[in-house]
Amino acid sequence: MVETSAETIAADAGEEISEVGEIPQSKLIWMRFSRNKLALIGGVGLIIMYIIVGLGPFIASNYYRHQNQDYLFGPPTPLTFIGPDGRLGLQPYTFEFSTRLDPESFKFVFDIDRDTRVPLELFVRGDPYSMLGFIESDIHLLGIEGEQRFYPLGTDALGRDVFARLLIGGQVSLTVGLVGVALTIILGSVMGTISGYFGGLVDDVMQRVIELILSFPTVPLWAALAAALPPISRDFTAVHRFFLITVILSLVNWTGLARQLRGKVMGYAESDFVMAALASGASDARIIFVHMMPNASSHIIVVAALAIPGMILGETALSFLGLGILPPAVSWGSMLTQAQAVPVVVEHPWLMTPGIAVVLAVLFYSFLGDALRDAADPYSI
Amino acid sequence: MSDQVGVKEAGADQQVEQPSPQSNIVELRNLHTYFFTDLGVARALNGVTYDIPREKVLGIVGESGCGKSVTALSIMNLIQPPGRIVKGEVMLHRRDADGATTDVRLTDLNRHSIQMRRIRGNEIAMIFQEPMTSLNPVYTIGDQISEAFMLHQGVDREEARRRSINILDRVGMPYADTVVDQYPHQLSGGMRQRAMIAMGLSCAPSLLIADEPTTALDVTTEAQILDVMRGLQSDIGMSIMFITHDLGVIAQMADEVVVMYLGRVAEQAPVDSIFYDPLHPYTRALLRSIPRVGRGTKERLKPIRGVVPNPYSNITGCPFHPRCDEFMADVCDVNVPGITMTDDGRAVRCFLYSDRVEKNG
Amino acid sequence: MISYIIRRLGYMLITLVFVTIVGFFIIELPPGSYLEFHIQSLRQQGGDVTPDQIQALERRYGLGDPVHIRFYKWISGFPRGDFGQSFQHQRPVGELIWSRLGYTLLISVATLIVSWGIAILVGVYSATHRYTIPDYLITVLQFIGLAIPNFLLALVLMIFLQQTFGMRVGVLFSREFRDAPFSIAKMIDLLSNIWVPIVILGVAGTAWTSRVMRANLLDVLNMQYVQTARAKGIHERKVIWKHAVRNALHPLVMTLGMALPGIISGEVVVSTVLNLPTSGPLFFQALIQQDMYLAGTFLVFFAVALLVGNLLADIMLAGLDPRIQYR
Ligand SMILES: Nc1ncnc2c1ncn2[C@@H]1O[C@H](COP(=O)(O)OP(=O)(O)OP(=O)(O)O)[C@@H](O)[C@H]1O
Ligand SMILES: [Mg+2]
Repeated sequence: MVETSAETIAADAGEEISEVGEIPQSKLIWMRFSRNKLALIGGVGLIIMYIIVGLGPFIASNYYRHQNQDYLFGPPTPLTFIGPDGRLGLQPYTFEFSTRLDPESFKFVFDIDRDTRVPLELFVRGDPYSMLGFIESDIHLLGIEGEQRFYPLGTDALGRDVFARLLIGGQVSLTVGLVGVALTIILGSVMGTISGYFGGLVDDVMQRVIELILSFPTVPLWAALAAALPPISRDFTAVHRFFLITVILSLVNWTGLARQLRGKVMGYAESDFVMAALASGASDARIIFVHMMPNASSHIIVVAALAIPGMILGETALSFLGLGILPPAVSWGSMLTQAQAVPVVVEHPWLMTPGIAVVLAVLFYSFLGDALRDAADPYSI
Repeated sequence: MSDQVGVKEAGADQQVEQPSPQSNIVELRNLHTYFFTDLGVARALNGVTYDIPREKVLGIVGESGCGKSVTALSIMNLIQPPGRIVKGEVMLHRRDADGATTDVRLTDLNRHSIQMRRIRGNEIAMIFQEPMTSLNPVYTIGDQISEAFMLHQGVDREEARRRSINILDRVGMPYADTVVDQYPHQLSGGMRQRAMIAMGLSCAPSLLIADEPTTALDVTTEAQILDVMRGLQSDIGMSIMFITHDLGVIAQMADEVVVMYLGRVAEQAPVDSIFYDPLHPYTRALLRSIPRVGRGTKERLKPIRGVVPNPYSNITGCPFHPRCDEFMADVCDVNVPGITMTDDGRAVRCFLYSDRVEKNG
Repeated sequence: MISYIIRRLGYMLITLVFVTIVGFFIIELPPGSYLEFHIQSLRQQGGDVTPDQIQALERRYGLGDPVHIRFYKWISGFPRGDFGQSFQHQRPVGELIWSRLGYTLLISVATLIVSWGIAILVGVYSATHRYTIPDYLITVLQFIGLAIPNFLLALVLMIFLQQTFGMRVGVLFSREFRDAPFSIAKMIDLLSNIWVPIVILGVAGTAWTSRVMRANLLDVLNMQYVQTARAKGIHERKVIWKHAVRNALHPLVMTLGMALPGIISGEVVVSTVLNLPTSGPLFFQALIQQDMYLAGTFLVFFAVALLVGNLLADIMLAGLDPRIQYR
């Protein structure tokens, strides 16, 4: 297991061997990380996802809460690149269609008129929206001029644009992981450091608390806590609920980080640099924040990255069961609630698309987390 | 020498009758072992050629990373992927009870083949560098030694256990009949190394490869272990290939010495010649870097300039030239020196002694 | 060893007390009292609730009492098997949970065994075939297996089975066996149904465990004692299975404590999707209806299952590793 030693990497990078000892740890980690192809896929994939989701209201053709009563459970808008002149081109077209109620099944039937083409256009005016908190507009990336609407992923039971909801829901689902991890890091590092640094009774109590939390299975515990949140009202908005749900998710997650940091800090307590700092009369806070935290930072980042997929999956499961994100807010999990019954999904498979989004996001984050871990600590699992 | 190397065989088993009795048990010829890692090719061995004399102790010295352990593993055919012996050969001269010898070219055997496995632990045994980690923590000492007996001597568990206690006794293990049933973590480092030696000697091998068997031990324990090894060597009449950093240990143990530098042999010579008349500049530098009795206290110890280049680098010419005191420009940095045999049978690779150039380096 | 187990049992009991406190805390947590919810639903059912009735109910659930008395009332019933009353079902909690908890445990343990069995084989294979195409393929599958939410997998599999085989998913027993006494045929019927949740739950577990196993084994294969075994002339297969795998199993057993909560969590969610007669559907229903004694009791029993699981893992570990001291 000599492959990743400092020397070999230095040599590979064409550097002088005598400089080996001077490559800082963070640079080494970065070098190993940037070699990892999966990390690249994960990183690029996530950046694209966050951009699309961030610009969601603009990219989607409809407002995510707009209900099209004439297009309930409507299938994705059919597209063709063959123009009215019968030639293949770059301009996409859809067809005119009409809706009628089938008197026998009492279901809507969509009649598509394959002969009348309607062009799909860029930067079309549509539903007004506000984006990223400061952009107010009604221009959408793609759309159809006139009455007809463009639904790339069809509509749901209430005739709402699934694609638009997917992007807005993604804002929630992709933020849960980040906010949750931020909370996890704060809680975990504070608790872990205190526990490891002071030891004794503080440490004992902390360890018992962690054990207690870990003796409950996660999802049921999250669900029980989420069930206790008040219903959405004027005083308790969807944003409050969202925040508290992430708090609940990180309530279990911080324990892992705290335990690992505790071990690290206990190791540092005997190390030379802490001894030296103690000898020169540094305060506890200074030792913790100036000497220990920076040393543990790569570790914290790795644990955090590895925790994000679990958070996303947790939110999705809770929302799916009706205990997480509630209407009018939307997340990938809450969108999937509509897909619970088999006949519904069989007839309207586009309702499952949020599932694909979840899998992709989790996959990308795990690529990233794995690569970070391998880079920071090539000898662990 | 070349007539031994060039032996051609037709048999599938690569075994051939050798007319003259061999004075060497194992011969390495131009051995190249590379590791094909993510970071590039590590050329751990770059044409190692030397002989392990029969019933003698051959010491191998060299700085850390020069390929001592890789050589040992190459002989055992135990190089694991991504490593591979890419060129060269290892020849075992097996001598039967009636004195006839057969040659086996180990490098031609598959490392998982039954022939190779019959040789390992039976004819050639190996003791590893770290006594702390070379025993399996979840099996008792007895279990681990018995395994070799049962495998190579076909005895049952009962008998294997008896033989294990016996061999533990012979390597000077205190309370051998208690220790057989103990786990490695219950033993001290010295006791573990004794257990390892017992395991290595269990089938009375003709060659024992000891890879720094005492480096991790304190001086007293080291002396005891060396004593045991020396005693058993003459008792059993086996050869020992003794790898170490420690020239003091070499002086005490070895009959002949091989000095390695960066995957090549710098020099092979009888132990006295190495200490009193070293030929290769590297050997001299090595000797200057350690304290010696009988040298004036005024004389300062002199560490060798620079560090060992890593095995991924591609140095042209003699691998030692960047650190060599006798460096000759346009000679040493251009060609790799070939092996020069001196009149008294010593081998050295240096342009100071002849301008022979390595052809297939 | 015996005293070690007894000591561990003692610790477990203490943790258990705290677990019940947490359980009770969760029962008390919902805003407003559960009684209000209950009265509301009684009114909705058309009945008129008189103040007398309310008082009777309050007395019955000890609402006038301070918290610690109520807590005491709740846990003092435990030894008698009395865990309080389910408002929603109008039956004692104890009557409702046993068979459901039993099936949850059955499915969880079966999943654990199946996924470990497969994971160990897969892990050994991919560790000994590093840098080969199958190893890369396994790695990709592991990533995907961990990324698919189990409820989604349940949905997809449910649809697939119904559409292609017309199989009715969401039962443990076919109708004719549901109330039949125990028999071989009934067991076979159970097996023909129970594999669905086991497969769904096993995917993530297998993916995770086989990754841990692969990493452990790679670590162990770098150990000197593996080379020692090879140097003895032992067959490579025996080197792997006898000398390496045996050592790679310890860290795996240590992760049992982490695997079990995941599986129970998954079981609860998946069985809700499949609507199996296990804890999941009842538990979530209870949470949504704020039937808190039922939900709280479930939670306590989930924790008990984990504690017992951890104890078993520790005992197993002690048996597996001679270095472990019974402190
Ligand atoms: N598994 C491996 N993968 C990659 N490179 C390896 C591997 N094993 C050995 N090497 C390379 O081969 C070179 C020789 O290693 P070897 O272990 O033989 O050194 P050594 O002389 O035994 O050193 P030491 O005295 O420290 O034991 C090392 O520099 C190392 O980089
Ligand atoms: Mg070595």
